[in-house]
Amino acid sequence: MRVTVKLFATFRDGRFKVEEKNLSEDSRVLDILQLLNISPEEVAICLVNGKDVKEQHLLKDGDTIALFPPVGGG
Amino acid sequence: MTIEGRYVRNKKTLTDEDQHKLANSCVAIVGCGGLGGYIAEELARIGVGRLVLIDGDRLEVSNLNRQIMATELNIGQWKVEAARDRLRSVNSEVKVEIIKEWFKEEKGPEMFQEVDLVFDALDSLATRVELERVCHSLKLPLVFASIAGWFGQIGVSLPGDFSVLRLFGRGERGVESTWGNPAFTPAVLASLSVAEGVKLLAGRMPALHRAWLQVDLLTMEFERFEINNT
Repeated sequence: MRVTVKLFATFRDGRFKVEEKNLSEDSRVLDILQLLNISPEEVAICLVNGKDVKEQHLLKDGDTIALFPPVGGG
Repeated sequence: MTIEGRYVRNKKTLTDEDQHKLANSCVAIVGCGGLGGYIAEELARIGVGRLVLIDGDRLEVSNLNRQIMATELNIGQWKVEAARDRLRSVNSEVKVEIIKEWFKEEKGPEMFQEVDLVFDALDSLATRVELERVCHSLKLPLVFASIAGWFGQIGVSLPGDFSVLRLFGRGERGVESTWGNPAFTPAVLASLSVAEGVKLLAGRMPALHRAWLQVDLLTMEFERFEINNT
């Protein structure tokens, strides 16, 4: 299946802004994180098609995944 | 000191009625660093009647790169005192109250007596979540903003929302611990916060209720995301 991965803020550093990825069926958000060398603890927000999900969330063909690191400074 | 014509250039962005509402409003700013300093400056200039500044920290050399209240002359001073001194010369009609303490959940009701609106300008993820909880229990609207490097987030949390919990509920520190905070990011995010806050004080709907704006000053992209309470 094909999914679109969007990265935000510092996750773009050394990676990309938006890319399409081919994944095997039954892939989860966690598999994308592994592919991108991002540990689950580094993720503040993970949206799939605009909805909050956990890293165990099962992906479907055509999904758009958006990943945000924590931005907490003041 | 009342100066005739001080708010002339707020027109017609703000009506006389809006200006009157601002003058009769009390706003708390929690955190008086990069974001909080600019927020206080803009609220004083635009004519909010009363400001409560909360921060338990003193100015240090590393604040000079971005904090508008920090100068080479006031290093070591309490941040809220430095802010009060500057605001006095900017707009002496504004009553500025200072609290030289860190925000804590149990102190919220005392700190926010007579407050109409709260700005979250904190730098701790966990304390941001506590602040939202307190604001909701006191039925207070909250404008939150955060910064790290070229990036920022800003939104509005009204009682019943859990926007801050959704955005900042995971982890202890953000990527600002490695990316720092350059001068332009707090200035931009503070201005966006004040624009939303002024709408709330004037009784208008904010644009970022149950949403946040993801700000990227490297690519100059501003993207809005909805926060669905599920």
